[in-house]
Amino acid sequence: MSKFKSSRLLAGLGLAAGLAALAPGAASAATDLTICYMNHPVQTANLAILEKWAKKQDVNLTKTPMSYSIYLPKITQMLANNSTGQCDIIWHNDDWGQDWAQYLVSTDDVPEIKNVAEGQLEPFFNEKGQPTTVPMATTAGIFFYRTDLVSEAEVPKTWDDLVKVSQKLQKDGKVKWGYVGGMTFTNTFFSFWWSLWNNNCDVYAPAYERDNAVLSKNGWKPMTADACQVQTAEFWWDALHKNNISPPGMSTYSRDEANAIFQAGDAAFTVADSTLLGTYNDPKKSKAAGHVGMARFPQGPMSKEHRSWIDIWGWSIPKSVTPEKQKAAKALLGAMMTDYEGQIAQWEQTGGPPPNSKVWAMLDKTDPVWRQVKGILFDSAHVHDAYYFRNWAVVHKTYSDILIKAVTGAREDIPKVLTEGAPAIQQGAMR
Amino acid sequence: MSMAPASAAHRPRLLGEKERFMLLLIAPAALVLLSFEVVPILIGMNASFRDWSLVNPQKTWVGLRHYVEVFTDPVFLKIVLPNTFILMVSSVTLSLVFGLALAHLLKRQFFGRILIQTVVLLPLTIAPVITATMMRWSFNDQFGVLTTLLAYIGVPQVGWLSERWPSFIIVILTDVWIWTPWFTIILLAALQGLPKEPYEAAQIDAASKWGIFTHVTLPLLRPVIAVCVLIRAIDAFRTFDQVWVLTGGGPARSTEVFSVYAYVEAFVNLDLGRGAAAAGAGAIIMLAVGLGLYAIVNRAMEVSR
Repeated sequence: MSKFKSSRLLAGLGLAAGLAALAPGAASAATDLTICYMNHPVQTANLAILEKWAKKQDVNLTKTPMSYSIYLPKITQMLANNSTGQCDIIWHNDDWGQDWAQYLVSTDDVPEIKNVAEGQLEPFFNEKGQPTTVPMATTAGIFFYRTDLVSEAEVPKTWDDLVKVSQKLQKDGKVKWGYVGGMTFTNTFFSFWWSLWNNNCDVYAPAYERDNAVLSKNGWKPMTADACQVQTAEFWWDALHKNNISPPGMSTYSRDEANAIFQAGDAAFTVADSTLLGTYNDPKKSKAAGHVGMARFPQGPMSKEHRSWIDIWGWSIPKSVTPEKQKAAKALLGAMMTDYEGQIAQWEQTGGPPPNSKVWAMLDKTDPVWRQVKGILFDSAHVHDAYYFRNWAVVHKTYSDILIKAVTGAREDIPKVLTEGAPAIQQGAMR
Repeated sequence: MSMAPASAAHRPRLLGEKERFMLLLIAPAALVLLSFEVVPILIGMNASFRDWSLVNPQKTWVGLRHYVEVFTDPVFLKIVLPNTFILMVSSVTLSLVFGLALAHLLKRQFFGRILIQTVVLLPLTIAPVITATMMRWSFNDQFGVLTTLLAYIGVPQVGWLSERWPSFIIVILTDVWIWTPWFTIILLAALQGLPKEPYEAAQIDAASKWGIFTHVTLPLLRPVIAVCVLIRAIDAFRTFDQVWVLTGGGPARSTEVFSVYAYVEAFVNLDLGRGAAAAGAGAIIMLAVGLGLYAIVNRAMEVSR
């Protein structure tokens, strides 16, 4: 090798070494954040907003999807052990607010967090009364119907209407089933609970109360054996076995099976999160696309008023995350909260009400579908879709088992099954 | 003549060179076993004696409270344990019978044998959770391939996944489908290694095919069958994936087995203490069952010698 070539090689190596030495310095300016979430349309849509802002804020955002079935134990274990390096931002659900609050940083300094609708952050309050999440969307169940089969005037207003309209559509050969919805644990909302809450009923008395002190003072009295609960169970038993408006196997359905049937065009009605509107209206995924309307829940015989749940899904930051990453995470979530256009796009894509109520005012002026959804969900009486005591998960599972036993057994045994199940519901809260 | 005390250098070692070399060879495996089996079991046992919620782990010592709760839980005694043993006995028996039949078939030379052998072994290559998901959709009452086929051939409508026994039968058949190839492989290897002399003697005695099978083949296979049954029975006791994916233990806990019970306590109810106690209770029961099966296996070995 000539001397000239050797010196060029050395110079080249020196340059490469210099660049390599500079590279980590350049990369270290960016902050790495890992976000753990569930692969759901509204979470995916909100992640798109976060990714957009991550690029602008020089954040490397790594997405870690997790199955719903393992999400709660996995993240709970991570939080309780103060693990670091796994998830810097986590998806949070109001059902787990009471369990995780102690492990999450306060989000009261995130821009525009004060614009979240009143009451929606309550389940996420820590002991100081500060929120521990930044909402991505309201997740509220809504009654979907097929506009090509049922006019707005014909939409069922009561359970009886639901049966009559369903049977007529089935008899006319227009649809295979009237109603389909998830029923297994944890899909209780899409069958048992919307009907329970719209029959002047609840899991514990007094109905719709979520203050643990009040519930405790009342002895955690379950409403499991009350007439309103028996009526609810009988309605579903009849839907499955007597009126045949729902598939007989519905007691084994999660939201996946129910969605598959509705999207296949085999059912006229369903209840699901409003965030699925975009999926139902996607012609690539749904035969019902373009014919999906939304309405209030049909009311039970003991109902006094329409009642919806309007709880939120959010993003939270574990306390175990380093202060630098906490700051970067809050900046990212704040950018999402102030990205009005992004939130409108998310609403249009999924049907998930935007987290910032300022955006609601903008949509009020421009979007008739929004006005309809807002009227159904927000101009209504409300109930939180969970209770907020430590063993709520145990009670939810117990309740689901009791109701499924009731609707898959003999109809005349329903009061007995519910009465026998009541002590377990009461003990669950006191466990 | 008196002997001077042996110096440290010449003192006989506790372990010879051969033993030390053997220990060195098994050390990596022992280390893995210790780290990922023994230590977690000890941690789990420790948790079972404590009030150890996954949410707020206080880890207060509660003694045998969790074990008492598990052993007095009517669901555990009246549903979980019977289901677990029904699944274990029926799955092992059916898998053994089908595995033996397939092994016999594949022992013969015929066109396409290798292809059929490969196809037969496929279920073993699929993760149980995928198999169970496939079965769940196959038995869906609206879209299921199998429910449609059964309806087509005139089988009356059954709540395959919404009633206790039909759904439990599906769980058992799924387990059989997964594990039959395992029996097939091992029994086929055993069949191919059997000595020819007893068969020649049986043919000279003009024994029937069934007679040869029952009086020659089965006795010769007994040690292999016994070991297979022992291993598979212990494995079947801890079946989780198929039950969780297919039925989730439902409807209303009626198809719950031991592993699902422990999982629900630990990871749905987030009560690690009680979940660990449920697992410990299962281990105690399985130890007793395992010892019984081991005695049977030993007996089978002795008889076959």
